[in-house]
Amino acid sequence: MGFDPTKDKAIEEQLVKDLQAGKVSSFEQLANLYQKNIYTLSFNLTRNATDSQDVTQEVLLTLFKKGHTFQGKSAFSSWVYRITLNASYMKLRTRKKEPNLSIEDLLPSLNGAGFQQEKLQDWSENTEAAFFDKETRRVIQKAVDLLPDKEKVVFLLRDVEGLSTEKVSEVLEITIPAIKSRLHRARLFLRKKLASYFEDYKTRKERK
Amino acid sequence: MICCKECLELLHDYIEGELSAEVHASFEDHFEDCPPCIVFLNTYKAAIHMSQTTLKSNDIPDIVKERLKKFIDKNKAE
Ligand SMILES: [Zn+2]
Repeated sequence: MGFDPTKDKAIEEQLVKDLQAGKVSSFEQLANLYQKNIYTLSFNLTRNATDSQDVTQEVLLTLFKKGHTFQGKSAFSSWVYRITLNASYMKLRTRKKEPNLSIEDLLPSLNGAGFQQEKLQDWSENTEAAFFDKETRRVIQKAVDLLPDKEKVVFLLRDVEGLSTEKVSEVLEITIPAIKSRLHRARLFLRKKLASYFEDYKTRKERK
Repeated sequence: MICCKECLELLHDYIEGELSAEVHASFEDHFEDCPPCIVFLNTYKAAIHMSQTTLKSNDIPDIVKERLKKFIDKNKAE
């Protein structure tokens, strides 16, 4: 069970009230409501169970101890995500400085008029069987790990955590058009990585 | 007719339903005449779906769950 930002608004409001009133029971409530979201987001960024456990404990304590100072300028869950991101980044001692993903590198080859030249293989239909394959999971995890930080965090919040574009913009404090273009680049990047894996998935399996 | 480049660059807005009715219609026209863009759209969606599902399934391991529970009980008591 985790926090579903689209549904749990009322629960969140009550919790914030309890925190502001200094109710002790709210610590357990906080943990029940957010620990999965905190842990998963942190793990998807750090890929380290110990680090993610530390981050989860740290974030829960911060929320509990500083919850009464929460101003309500943004949604409480946005605050939770922001603290989680900061704590996770602290664990990643070296944050790589990557160049921006260039959209041209992520699109298929186009002619001068902007039309596709080559025939693309539609591997989307043979993904069902591959889904339960350990190797597929590994390839996907690795593709996500390879995303530059800027695109990765947008992909994790929007497509994995399921936040709205507006909410992601609130958490990261960047504009909505910037969120959209980062998300699109992240998705194009993942598509490209998965394409090179799936395009010869069938032949590889048949050979085995 | 819009070209593939325009179509692929705005794929995010297309699948999120954020295009104006007019532009959306021109996308539908393009897809009708352009099998490669349909393939691209299908694989774009498949990549999102697969990555999403895989990453969502990264649940808290049982051992970490236990440690977190101890941590919560300890802080609850204080
Ligand atoms: Zn096309």
